[in-house]
Amino acid sequence: MGANAQTRWWTDARVGYIVIDNPPMNVLSDENRRGIRDALDEFRADDVGAVVLTGAGDRAFCAGADLGEEKHLTDDTVGKFLSRGEQTFRIIRDYERPVIGAINGWAMGGGLVLALWCDVRVGSTRAKLGAVGVKVGLMASNVQLSRLFPEGRARDMLLTGRTVEADEAYRLGLLSSVVAPERLLDEAAAWARGMADRPVEQVAAAKRAVNVALEPEGAR
Amino acid sequence: MRRLESGGISIVAIDGTCTGADFEDALEADIRIAAESATFSADGARDLAACALRLTRLLGEARAKEIVLGLRTFDAATALRLGIVTRVVPTTALAATGDALVERLAALPPLALPAIRDAVRSARDLTPDSALAVEHTHFRRLIATSDHRAAVEAFFERRPAVFTGE
Repeated sequence: MGANAQTRWWTDARVGYIVIDNPPMNVLSDENRRGIRDALDEFRADDVGAVVLTGAGDRAFCAGADLGEEKHLTDDTVGKFLSRGEQTFRIIRDYERPVIGAINGWAMGGGLVLALWCDVRVGSTRAKLGAVGVKVGLMASNVQLSRLFPEGRARDMLLTGRTVEADEAYRLGLLSSVVAPERLLDEAAAWARGMADRPVEQVAAAKRAVNVALEPEGAR
Repeated sequence: MRRLESGGISIVAIDGTCTGADFEDALEADIRIAAESATFSADGARDLAACALRLTRLLGEARAKEIVLGLRTFDAATALRLGIVTRVVPTTALAATGDALVERLAALPPLALPAIRDAVRSARDLTPDSALAVEHTHFRRLIATSDHRAAVEAFFERRPAVFTGE
């Protein structure tokens, strides 16, 4: 169990839970990035079999970078900004246990990137996903969407920045199940427990295999 | 089939029979939408192998083979399920939906659009690391544009932004 100013985490029955708690929209802060990293380290020591990542409240899973903070980025600081984000995503991707994203509301911009780096996503009926970078003239989540999706669908979301609501996200395969908001954490926990109950090495190997499956021949 | 363009992004709005050369052309567009009454077939394509390659990238291997080897005619609902089109609307609403999409894209910052399209196209050929490096190169360039600053200011002032392509 642990917490920092904007992140909480705990363990229950070999499932680790991480909550991004930066209301109202759960903008992704350095505290959150640090919290995710610290929580995963602690879970590893606690023999956790799977992890659930969610946002506090029912408005947002994570609304991505703080545009107010991002506005002040300069040529020098933008590199650090990008690598801080990438570090967090890489930690989730390379974590030996599956991470289940419980999408409780908006997942947009960098929040969508965070959701897409999770291994499985389940959503509440309030889930809304948007690759909104294009709306502010930027590009984000290209890499994940191009991998998760056939190209045609990736382009539709990335080029229009439109909102994909829970039902469509389920149909597209972005969400693996959709439940009422009050049932979301139970649903995510059920997925996580199913994975935590399997042999640890087998699950880790399957996650690794999927991670590299789409890499060009010879690069694996 | 109506061919539209906005901000360098190509769109096809498909109505009626989309087969052979039309089907091939449709696959080259960036965004495909269709009327409920539209039907599709790869039959009669000028270059079925090129069609196969494109479909494999668009839909994955299993679905691509079904289309180029089966050569069956399928309806708009199937095209949506397979991922050939991303939206199906009533036939009478197709023209307006196409126009709305053109307007929507025209209202977005113009430099980001082709950059995103090209990055998606190249992502499949790269390792995740190289693909991320490409994305970050674009990001660094785009974040320094006046259009990005204009978009953020407009967001905070809750008004539409005006873009100059710079």
